[in-house]
Amino acid sequence: MAASSGSASAADSDLKDLDLVGSDMGSSTIQYSMVLEHLIGDKRAAKDLNPGVMGGLPVPAKSDEQKMIERGMESCAFKSVLACVGGFVLGGAFGVFTAGIDTNVGFDPKDPLRTPTAREVLKDMGQRGMSYAKNFAIVGAMFSCTECIIESHRGKSDWKNAVYSGCVTGGVIGFRAGLKAGVLGCGGFAAFSAAIEYYLR
Amino acid sequence: MDPVKAQQLAAELEVEMMADMYNRMTNACHRKCVPPHYKEAELTKGEAVCLDRCVAKYLDLHERLGRKLTELSVQDEETMRKAAVGSG
Repeated sequence: MAASSGSASAADSDLKDLDLVGSDMGSSTIQYSMVLEHLIGDKRAAKDLNPGVMGGLPVPAKSDEQKMIERGMESCAFKSVLACVGGFVLGGAFGVFTAGIDTNVGFDPKDPLRTPTAREVLKDMGQRGMSYAKNFAIVGAMFSCTECIIESHRGKSDWKNAVYSGCVTGGVIGFRAGLKAGVLGCGGFAAFSAAIEYYLR
Repeated sequence: MDPVKAQQLAAELEVEMMADMYNRMTNACHRKCVPPHYKEAELTKGEAVCLDRCVAKYLDLHERLGRKLTELSVQDEETMRKAAVGSG
């Protein structure tokens, strides 16, 4: 009976044979369930799980403020704020530049040959710069926010994130002018993002 | 088996078990979450999120399988004890 039971449990045969042999003695056998409870189950001791103990390179522990700062800087909100500010600055510069090379500034229909005054030119440059800046800021913030959210959801970091978020951003912008414009906006912006990603990667 | 002896044995085995688990987890999660396109040194957001999820799943799996193994081990020991009592 002992031999047949021993051969039946083929997986951990050595220790189980020991168990059968020593079951009347009782003290020299290894009982898996008790050891496992101390290792994995409820009776395990609380351990300080850091890489130095477990076999990795020992790194100094990060303080709580440092962790909070790093988490803030990696968050989607911070990235979209950064893109918003960057877009604002870039849009402002772009708007001022295009206003500077535009020949229709200060055009007066009653007197087409009059050269515009400096004040009119500057005012127009400021207005156009501000309008471009706001548009760029909004587009940049939306794109960055959607890209971060899509990347967090997918858990991967490749070119498709930019394409999807380009489609969403273009779609939302175009949707204000109707469904077809939304679809076109999605396609166009996604293609633009894909081109930029191709260039960057 | 003596509970004190079980605890001592567990304490000896634990360091090795932890190190082994850490190594396997690092290898598995690195293989799954970090594609070998090393364009920059920092972990991107997608990779960081993936690693968080991988570690959480791995530890959950480790715990569940451990509990299941303990259960099966208890059943197995009961069977063996009955067989030993029956034959002895």
